[in-house]
Amino acid sequence: MLSTQKAQNTQRRFSVLFGSSVHYVVLLAALLFALAPVYWMLTISFKTEGEQFATPPPWFVFTPTLEHYYDAFVTRSFGEYLLTSAIVAVTSTLLGLVIGTLAAYALARFELPFKLNRRLSLWILSTRMFPAIVTAVPLFLMMRDVQLLNTRAALIIVYTAFNLPFVVWMMRGFFADLPRDLEEAALVDGDSRLGALVRVVLPLVTPGLAATAVFCLIVSWNEFLFALVLTQTDAAMTLPVGIAGRVTQYEIKWGVMSAAASVAIVPILVFALALQKYLVRGLSMGAVKG
Amino acid sequence: MGIEFRNVTKTFGGACVVDNLSLEVRDGEFIVLLGPSGCGKTTTLRMLAGLENATSGDILINGERVNDVPTQHRDLAMVFQSYALYPHMTIAENIGYPLRVRKLDKADRAARVRRVAEMLEIEPLLERKPRQLSGGERQRVALARAIVREPRAYLMDEPLSNLDARLRMQMRGELKRLQHQLGTTTIYVTHDQAEAMTLASRVAVMKKGQLQQFDTPLNIYNHPANRFVAEFVGSPSMNFIEDERVTKGIRPEHIQVLTTPEDGAIEARVYVTELMGNETFVFLSVGDQRLIARAPADFRADVDTKVWLRIASEKVHFFDRATERILPQRRDGATEDAK
Repeated sequence: MLSTQKAQNTQRRFSVLFGSSVHYVVLLAALLFALAPVYWMLTISFKTEGEQFATPPPWFVFTPTLEHYYDAFVTRSFGEYLLTSAIVAVTSTLLGLVIGTLAAYALARFELPFKLNRRLSLWILSTRMFPAIVTAVPLFLMMRDVQLLNTRAALIIVYTAFNLPFVVWMMRGFFADLPRDLEEAALVDGDSRLGALVRVVLPLVTPGLAATAVFCLIVSWNEFLFALVLTQTDAAMTLPVGIAGRVTQYEIKWGVMSAAASVAIVPILVFALALQKYLVRGLSMGAVKG
Repeated sequence: MGIEFRNVTKTFGGACVVDNLSLEVRDGEFIVLLGPSGCGKTTTLRMLAGLENATSGDILINGERVNDVPTQHRDLAMVFQSYALYPHMTIAENIGYPLRVRKLDKADRAARVRRVAEMLEIEPLLERKPRQLSGGERQRVALARAIVREPRAYLMDEPLSNLDARLRMQMRGELKRLQHQLGTTTIYVTHDQAEAMTLASRVAVMKKGQLQQFDTPLNIYNHPANRFVAEFVGSPSMNFIEDERVTKGIRPEHIQVLTTPEDGAIEARVYVTELMGNETFVFLSVGDQRLIARAPADFRADVDTKVWLRIASEKVHFFDRATERILPQRRDGATEDAK
């Protein structure tokens, strides 16, 4: 009796150990797969040009150098690109959140006639149902006509417009999951609609807001197509376009590109880590009631 | 504060939820809207709060038409069935919310929150969050949030229905005491006839959006306006005996169960008895008619034994079979008719 129990225990412990080691192997493989390009980029950014092209490549041991970082951010204008990227991404994210949250709240809470809630929501989503490049030429012409080509404003407007459908749809779901009683209680307690939204509703959907914000920021930060089409000068060039611009007819500046790209990762990484505790809750919010 | 509904109708889509309701509430009254689920009582309350718009008709507070006054300007306080406590705020912040919205300064707010918390004995909970509280405690916080300011009236939407039976009874008493202390007009929605009977100064019984009767609990119990009211109020329910043209109704306490035959008593058979401790419910069959009678606690009878019933004839109600309305009391031989 006792010995069988002992055997069972050993077996259980073995299967737990074995199970968790399989977990680790799978996780490790996934991590390797995901991080290998990042590692490659990081090492390239610290290697001299000679070592970059050596065969076989020096995987781990090489003489690190900061020359590419110096080249990118001091000699060339990557500092400026970084600033543009930051301004454009942050502003468009904030604008998108404010406008989109208000729209989502209205769609989630106010009954519009003619089933407009559903129709408007689908309409809003439909603006993302075609490839972005379709709008590139019209947007270029419109921005030219209002003389916004090569300005940060052009990018802010376009990114806000493209993030809005996502904000509206994500936030609408979060609002719909919130019991109406709470807002109604706030109204009866004497608060205005906007007051109830700010003081009662928004604090309760913070995880959703955080998840949406990270999403918008990543999309705007990494956007390439419109930045390429709408800006040609250093005045409003973002990091992705700036980095791609180092591929020229005569040479490809791998070192500079890698250095700039490595720096480009940092802000999003920091932001996502800061909001991590909200992110998991936010992305799974509507999934589980309670 | 006087509250008045004048021919108020509410339709959702095609369905009429409240049908031409007229109701006048006097200052300081405790009014209970009573009815089964779907009778329109909650919708009536929500229209008064401004959370729903009336399709037609007027709602007046103190003689002033408030149909177009938004919720936040009606100066009413409401206790929700779910309590609707703000989960991200502490109990103190929850109770103080109506004051904060009214821009009362911090010290004043804290003092009033403390006073109300003392009154409801929830002082030790002030720094906690709603999720750390039990159902009964949450219910007190919801009440505290309602009474922390002096609103024109309290609206309560089944505030006790999420509590267990014992706590519900205790809170019922406290609510009554509280309303007596504050003297503020209160409109209370429930489907529990016991709550209606014990709390109300007047009860409005509703069914399918229509007001059936609006009167004091005693009158509702003793002089029901129609069969529905008679059946809905009282536990166990009134007995009904169908005749050709009239339905006769007799409450269980007005049927006396005898173990020996007696002049004029009706013969019946015991179907089953239920001991309640302080009394006994006797389920009887007379022919194929089922009746319930209330008997003293020490009443004992086996299943299927023969008993005799004496019915208090002056307590029999007569309802029109077609309209189900009450008919003028008839004092002639109700006992013979009961067969």
